[in-house]
Amino acid sequence: MARLVVLGGGVAGHTTATFAARWLGSEHEVVVVTPNAKWNWIPSNIWVGVGEMKKEEVTFDLAPVYAKAGITYRQAKAVSINPEGGESSDQPFVTIEYTSADKAGQSETIEYDYLVNATGPKLNFGATPGLGEGSQLGEHTVSVCTSDHAVHAFEKLTEAIEKMKAGTRQKILVGTGHGMCTCQGAAFEYIFNIEHELRKAGVRDMADIKWISNESFLGDFGMGGLHLKVGGFVVSSKLFAESLFAERNVEWIIGAHVSKVEEGKVHYELLDGSTGEEEFDFSMLIPPFAGVGLKAYNKAGEDITDTVFAPNGFMKVDANYNAGAYENWKASDWPKTYQNPTYKNMFAAGIAFAPPHIISKPMSSPNGTPINPTPPRTGMPSGIIGKTVAHSVCALIAKGENAHLHEASMAKMGAACVASAGKGVFTGTAAAMTVYPVVPDFEKYPGTGRDTNYTFGEIGLAGHWIKHILHHLFIYKAKLNPGWTLIPE
Amino acid sequence: MVKEIITYPTPLSVKYATDVRVFSDELFALIKDLKDTINENNLDGLAAFQIGSYYNVIVVKDEDGELVEMINPRLIAHSGQLTTKESTAYYPNRTAKITRYENISVIYQDRDAKDCSLKASGSVAIAIQRKIDYTFGATFIHKMSKEVKEAFENRLEYDDEVESADYCPTSFKRDKIVVIMNVIMAFMVLGFIVALFIDDSLLLQNIWKYLLYGSVGVVSLDVVYFFYAQYEGKQQNGCSSCQIGNIIGTALMVLFKLSIVMLLSYFFVY
Repeated sequence: MARLVVLGGGVAGHTTATFAARWLGSEHEVVVVTPNAKWNWIPSNIWVGVGEMKKEEVTFDLAPVYAKAGITYRQAKAVSINPEGGESSDQPFVTIEYTSADKAGQSETIEYDYLVNATGPKLNFGATPGLGEGSQLGEHTVSVCTSDHAVHAFEKLTEAIEKMKAGTRQKILVGTGHGMCTCQGAAFEYIFNIEHELRKAGVRDMADIKWISNESFLGDFGMGGLHLKVGGFVVSSKLFAESLFAERNVEWIIGAHVSKVEEGKVHYELLDGSTGEEEFDFSMLIPPFAGVGLKAYNKAGEDITDTVFAPNGFMKVDANYNAGAYENWKASDWPKTYQNPTYKNMFAAGIAFAPPHIISKPMSSPNGTPINPTPPRTGMPSGIIGKTVAHSVCALIAKGENAHLHEASMAKMGAACVASAGKGVFTGTAAAMTVYPVVPDFEKYPGTGRDTNYTFGEIGLAGHWIKHILHHLFIYKAKLNPGWTLIPE
Repeated sequence: MVKEIITYPTPLSVKYATDVRVFSDELFALIKDLKDTINENNLDGLAAFQIGSYYNVIVVKDEDGELVEMINPRLIAHSGQLTTKESTAYYPNRTAKITRYENISVIYQDRDAKDCSLKASGSVAIAIQRKIDYTFGATFIHKMSKEVKEAFENRLEYDDEVESADYCPTSFKRDKIVVIMNVIMAFMVLGFIVALFIDDSLLLQNIWKYLLYGSVGVVSLDVVYFFYAQYEGKQQNGCSSCQIGNIIGTALMVLFKLSIVMLLSYFFVY
């Protein structure tokens, strides 16, 4: 009997664990270690953040689902990995620390045959002084990265709306809280959902809404922008985004690294080296992501974290981390199997794998501050990678170490994204986009690096319906309800 | 080398915004071609697309008339707004009133791949914005409102050489006359339907009388519409939807609908 330990129960980890459990059957054991008691459909958090959904609608308890799937569930956070085993045994193991109320703080080791690191990111609020602190739910700004954060964001937004109704003008600032953030899409959705809600509340004219982000142009989204086929014509995502901002009367600051947040004020540095301040009454700024801080030790107990993890804390996989300067970057730099190069029984999936480099053009201010979006690895790519890794682990267990590993390079993978710009059965709007490949391949597709026949988008009410249907569909799938395997990632 | 400037209707390529990654002789030759073409045609600037390259490169004249080479430019800060009448080599002999930022800050790379920034105002800022738009696949048409854009595209389609942006409005006063005629006819239809369920001959005669009054009113308004619409159409130049064909068609359509109502009423009400 082999044991697969999956660290993390988000989109990637949950997908890996549930498919592996199904394919491996009861002959082998799948263990999930996640600090959370609930699964969260993160894309719908923006609707919790504007009060259009309750926290209970975007989360569900993991324990009964894992019990149904025959998965061993540990509500705990992983602390360290010993891929060579310890003093008394060569069997690799992870050390975990329980977060559940009954065992909080207790440590345990779990031996494994295969390990999938799908911890997701650490929300690195500390990178920018004063940025909304996750555990204490907001110092000066709020966040929608978790359902609890989103509930808190809605409370603060409600206060701002009440002030507007009372005749006090409010400044709303939404975007990224650091020069190295990713997930611009979530902030993009949130700002337009706020705008939509303010119109519904009849107080739009009492709000000055502003976007602040580390993108060098609107519509970069951490993917270097994209060219969309819209209504038969190909347009840049820059035009797509600028039109929406102009249409909704939303001002913008781009190429910005938020260096400090004080009460009611952010300080930022721009790509041209200039600095500025922006005042706000309500602000949601996405924090930068980092690895969760897992340590790794060899058999002798020596720290080998640098061998297993990249400096940003994400796990090294089969990527080319020596691609060098921007002009040398290739699609082939991106990982295919997500297998750790040193320890072949370890994989990483979703945000937890270390990308070889960013996707957007690297940029920094004259002061040397890097200001560019980091690569998005959430949503559909996360699910696809999770399932691919599950395939590979099952193949290794069934056929031995020479089994063929499955591949899912982001440079050969398409992705669909539906970005909400307001919720409502008849008044909702969303931008639905597909992009192929996620990472541009300039050798295969000279010019934009993408196949414009498969990279297209539309904005409208139908997009909102799609997003709402997907919300129910993916929660249905994650609960492992009948037919869940038929629903794509 | 002076290159031919791409003009409308050559469609916008799908291969814009390809950031320059390799700073080679190919890039330097492209920049030289851009400069030669600007000087030959006495332009305020060009984007690489305009001479057939899809690299993210623009060359723009600054306040002193010097040509500034910008590779991978990005507009990252702005303030103020300015509406001016713009022309661009892509649409020869056309102008349009476009609103843009008055002051901008742009970052770019020079030919040595060194990061640079530039602040610009007024006409130079406008020229830079227009050229950066090209590198992302846009012309100034994308800065227009939906209505103005449609009107501009109509003018392009009909090859109208009118220089000023004298756009065809999307609604006319004459449309109100059509609305009134339609409302009267809607009441007439209602009267006709009610008449189908009435046996009282006196009441039927009254309904027929009102239908006649209504029809006279509609015909009179239709005549007023016909002449007023022509007068209003003459106030708009280069406006295809103001043409006599549309006016005649609308007037005849009203008469046709009225005839149907009165014909049915004659057989079932009179």
